[in-house]
Amino acid sequence: MRETLMDILTDLRPDVDFENETNLISGGILESFDIVSLVSELTDEFDITIRPKDLVPENFNSVDAMLALITKLVEE
Amino acid sequence: MTKNVLEWLEETALQYEDKPAFLDTKDEITFGQVMEQAKAIGSALSEKLKENKAPVAVVAGRNVRTPAAFLGVVYSGRAYAPIDAKLPEQRIFKILKTLQPAAILVDRENKEAIEKLLADGRTQDSEFTQAPLLVIEELKEHVINYTKLACIRRRMVMTDPLYIIFTSGSTGNPKGVMTSHQSLICYINAYSKVMGIDETDRLGNQSPLDYIAAIRDIYLPLKYGCSTVILPKEYFMEPDNLFGCMNEYGVTAVGWSVSAFTVPLSLGAFEDCELTTLRKICFSGSVMPCKCLKVWQEHLPEAKFVNQYGPTEATASCTYYEVDHTVTEDEVLPIGVPYENYKVFLMNEDETETAVGEEGEICVSGPVLALGYYNDPERTAASFIQNPLNPHYQEKIYRTGDIGVLREDGILEFHGRKDRQIKHMGHRVELDEVEYAANQIDGVAESCCIYRKDKEVLYLFYTGEAQKRDVVLELRTVLPGFMVPRKVKPIESMPKLPNGKIDMTTLRDMAK
Repeated sequence: MRETLMDILTDLRPDVDFENETNLISGGILESFDIVSLVSELTDEFDITIRPKDLVPENFNSVDAMLALITKLVEE
Repeated sequence: MTKNVLEWLEETALQYEDKPAFLDTKDEITFGQVMEQAKAIGSALSEKLKENKAPVAVVAGRNVRTPAAFLGVVYSGRAYAPIDAKLPEQRIFKILKTLQPAAILVDRENKEAIEKLLADGRTQDSEFTQAPLLVIEELKEHVINYTKLACIRRRMVMTDPLYIIFTSGSTGNPKGVMTSHQSLICYINAYSKVMGIDETDRLGNQSPLDYIAAIRDIYLPLKYGCSTVILPKEYFMEPDNLFGCMNEYGVTAVGWSVSAFTVPLSLGAFEDCELTTLRKICFSGSVMPCKCLKVWQEHLPEAKFVNQYGPTEATASCTYYEVDHTVTEDEVLPIGVPYENYKVFLMNEDETETAVGEEGEICVSGPVLALGYYNDPERTAASFIQNPLNPHYQEKIYRTGDIGVLREDGILEFHGRKDRQIKHMGHRVELDEVEYAANQIDGVAESCCIYRKDKEVLYLFYTGEAQKRDVVLELRTVLPGFMVPRKVKPIESMPKLPNGKIDMTTLRDMAK
């Protein structure tokens, strides 16, 4: 799962160091253009529904946070 | 008759001295403070700068203090050029190079970055790097020189330039659209009549302050004594936070780009949160998908919805259409009728008037026309021309490059672009400019940029040795974030048509 997510992320923004960055949203690194594409790709790829209440910085600030969110949503 | 936006500020500051003019989630500034700070900054500038009319660049963040810096420049009798500090360095550099400003005003937060940019620029021997760098926080402590400010004001006329806003240009250099006090005043008057803005309103600002859409959020409070709430940018990706914040601050009126409505909706807005205070809604910047508008209308049945159309060159607008019914999903909204003081008409390729019901280029004239592109007589002459339909006296018009149709009932419809300019999430993007930037990169032989409107994604196809990652990194140093394609695809060879032109249809198929 991590690998797939990394592929999606690096395809979207090859300029960002996703392995080490922990402030993707709060630091203004990802923009709305990125989030819109990202949410639609995650929805398709993992067959999950990302709800508005999930769209908080804590869930998208790092790859680990995103993985945790995806894992949670896959189980639901 | 108002001839200067500062008259608005001064009257409103007298009446609503302690009322907040601008608020954000951390801070607020009253009308009284805006005026005091602007006068102090204006006094400082008029004492420090040489007696020429060159504009002043304002490089600052998106916060409640920045509008006072803009107005401070106005007090000094000059035009301001707002530059969002978040733009890439090279973009700021290009803008400053065109501008040749008398000074660069910067907030403390961004001082270091701009200092570095100027130091780098000095090695390239650019003249503007000699311009003094002044810090807003220091200037606003300056003693107000009432005599000097009064003297400056007496000399000002309503056609004096107010601001210079930069937009995408197809040759790789951004164009600085210069607008007068008169034009801005005409637009604000016309817009507020349509929207019914008064002192009780709370406006919700969405755009960066250097962007044309922000002029409403800056100047409506000055005229009416209403307040503007600067909504955090990231909230547009977090619909529940956005709606929560708007309800908390009691936002009643917004003028947003279409993407500010579509993005939160695609992220689930209204699923478990409603807007309780919003009543006046204007959208502009690109074509509103009615599928999206319908949902907004269903959740805000009491609200007024207005579709605005128009370019920066005609002070943000040309026409408006008040949506008078609940739309259906497959409907296409017209762009409506001209705002007050806007003369809008259609012209054929051969420069004759377009007949009702037929397609023609949308042209605009009147006091809302920009003064031109700053320091760019060639592009100004090409875009702002003598009205070909009027051989009798001098009348400038602006050709928008947009195609429209005038219906029998006098309502205008929008039928797309003549050239390769697109609207990407509310921002104007010349695809040529993206390609120009890509072609400058080492290892890129040929490139072609395509926009997938349905997905709101920019694609860049290129040939050559360059690595995808390097192409993106390089583009990020020269273009604003919204212009950097999110799908970058290296290809073996560029598909071509028999005439040697790039085969767009094949590329469009590849962009899937």
